Amino acid sequence: MSLSTLTKPWEAMSYGFLDGSAKRELRRKILKSVAVPGCQMPYASREVPMARGWGTGGLQVSLTLVNPRTRVKVIDQGADDSVNAASIRRFIARVAGTPTTMDTLEADLIQSRHRIPEEILREDQVLVLQVPNPEPLRPVQPNMSIARQMHADADYGRMWLQLYEQIVRSGRVMQGASYPSLVHGRHVMTPSPIPRWDVPKLHMAKHLTILSAGREKRIFAVPPYTRVEPLVFSDVPYKVEEHGALTCTRSGTTGFFMNEIPQDDGTSSFEVSDSEWGVKTIRARDRDGESRGETWYKDGEMS
Amino acid sequence: MAYVATRGGERAIEQSERLFREEMGGFDRARVKEVKKSLPYLIDRVMGEASLYDEDLAALALAQTGGELYEAVLLLRAWRTTQPRLQVAEPVEQETLFTHRRISAAFKDIPGGQVLGPTLDYAHRILATDVLQGASYAPEPVEPATNPSPAYQPSVSAWQAENDLLDPPAEDPTKGNDIPDLTREPLLFPSKRAHTLQSLARAETGGVLALGYAAMRGYGQAHPTVNELRLAEAEIAVSHPDGRQFSAGRVKVSQAEVVDKKGEKLGIGYAATFGWNEVKCISAATLDLNSPGAEKGSATEEEFFLYHTEGVESSGFCIHFKLPHYVTFQSSLDAMRDAKAKKAAKAPEPAE
Repeated sequence: MSLSTLTKPWEAMSYGFLDGSAKRELRRKILKSVAVPGCQMPYASREVPMARGWGTGGLQVSLTLVNPRTRVKVIDQGADDSVNAASIRRFIARVAGTPTTMDTLEADLIQSRHRIPEEILREDQVLVLQVPNPEPLRPVQPNMSIARQMHADADYGRMWLQLYEQIVRSGRVMQGASYPSLVHGRHVMTPSPIPRWDVPKLHMAKHLTILSAGREKRIFAVPPYTRVEPLVFSDVPYKVEEHGALTCTRSGTTGFFMNEIPQDDGTSSFEVSDSEWGVKTIRARDRDGESRGETWYKDGEMS
Repeated sequence: MAYVATRGGERAIEQSERLFREEMGGFDRARVKEVKKSLPYLIDRVMGEASLYDEDLAALALAQTGGELYEAVLLLRAWRTTQPRLQVAEPVEQETLFTHRRISAAFKDIPGGQVLGPTLDYAHRILATDVLQGASYAPEPVEPATNPSPAYQPSVSAWQAENDLLDPPAEDPTKGNDIPDLTREPLLFPSKRAHTLQSLARAETGGVLALGYAAMRGYGQAHPTVNELRLAEAEIAVSHPDGRQFSAGRVKVSQAEVVDKKGEKLGIGYAATFGWNEVKCISAATLDLNSPGAEKGSATEEEFFLYHTEGVESSGFCIHFKLPHYVTFQSSLDAMRDAKAKKAAKAPEPAE
């Protein structure tokens, strides 16, 4: 027996960049977060070759879950060709040899920043959401150690008070994206800065969602078929963005979350935010074949 | 196809990196060597913040990033994190440090003497503009002292403890892999002592200075006296699998002890880091001194300063605001417009 028979030949980089101990920790923390839905699990969070705040939490989860057959889709603001999505997709493919796709239905793993695709995800798909700030209590309690205690006590009074104050001051809840939601009736989580439009997609979803904040070192999850309920008062219903009647000027699709594009004449035009949905709609219109799957929203209404 | 999800993004990011690199041109081992030789204090700072002691790698990171310090530190951290742990070295005791410089502001003279060592403290800060006119800068040679000061010296706080002026921290018997490691586990609060010291050791120099300075100016409860500031080399003692101990080499370290009166005893703050970085050590030790009992949310409270002096995280988050945020922005616009419309609908008719 010699040292060389006990070890592998030296390699500049492990498969999927992260070393074995980092992946092991991540898997354990993912399992824990699945076991306690919506509860933030602290993890070491390694540095990766990307700046903190640029999807390093999501990236660590993706790198841990992929194998050379995992088909990966990466989106940012709903678009596959957004510069950072392109950068992350290229990195995962480079270090893990994964095939990539832009088609939501074809993907095994979808890493996303700020959006959930419009097509319904299946049980065999995993959605990884990048999270800048994992703490829904941050606006009412910036101190992380105190907030942790508040979660343990299910002490969400100040959270409710904040929502109430917004209604009193502005006539409605002013929360834009990252709408705080109660998971499995126990933990309040931030769904990451997805628009309110996307939050109902998490409720009783067939797919597993893993939310990971690399900089803040917290991971949490929404397992399949788990309740995700936005915090609302019984007499003030939850309201998604009023995009149900908008039509995409490029693809002609109607009833999905849109990007508003300011025009020279002072008006706005709209483009569908889920870029691949737009592409598929154009393909269908040009009779290049129908490749669109079922969507969560039908005629602009959550079904 | 009318709507092409072009790979425009991919092309653009590739060209943008090429533009950055074109400015600097290529580099080779000679450049790395030159950086290492000519900028030792910058190398020290980068090694400290990366918590990776390797002058060659630090010089390489600086050459590769054109001196963009946050990028250089991130390069080293991302490299470091994937490396296996072969050994945990023996603890380093203060009296075993090969000391180059050691001063105390607390006493006129101290056992072992004030050793000024290498410093620019008393240099007249006059820019050597004649170098640009073609003159070369040749430093005056050092004249060795007739009685060189001892290389190994006790700490000032040891003397104070003997004289019942301060209570030294209790000895921590934790050994080897049982020592909590900030890079392998999350930082939680109240923070483990090892995590606090590790976090300060790899903190961003400017960030520690900003918060430490705030404490010094009066936003902290304690006013630091530099009990001891030391620049030294530490022997890295590791064990061979057959049990023999040997030195794996020396690393440059700096450390600071600052004290303040707390009742009848002195309170003590401590920090140490890889490389010689006095500003960082004094600032970090000042934060450590101020931290016990600090109000939650104040700049001298450990959760506040440990989170906010983490350079890789803070710089990364700062530059992430360059990323598109139009989905969240759209979501906010929707709430704003709706609130405005509601208000307009409710507004009373203007009086005649």
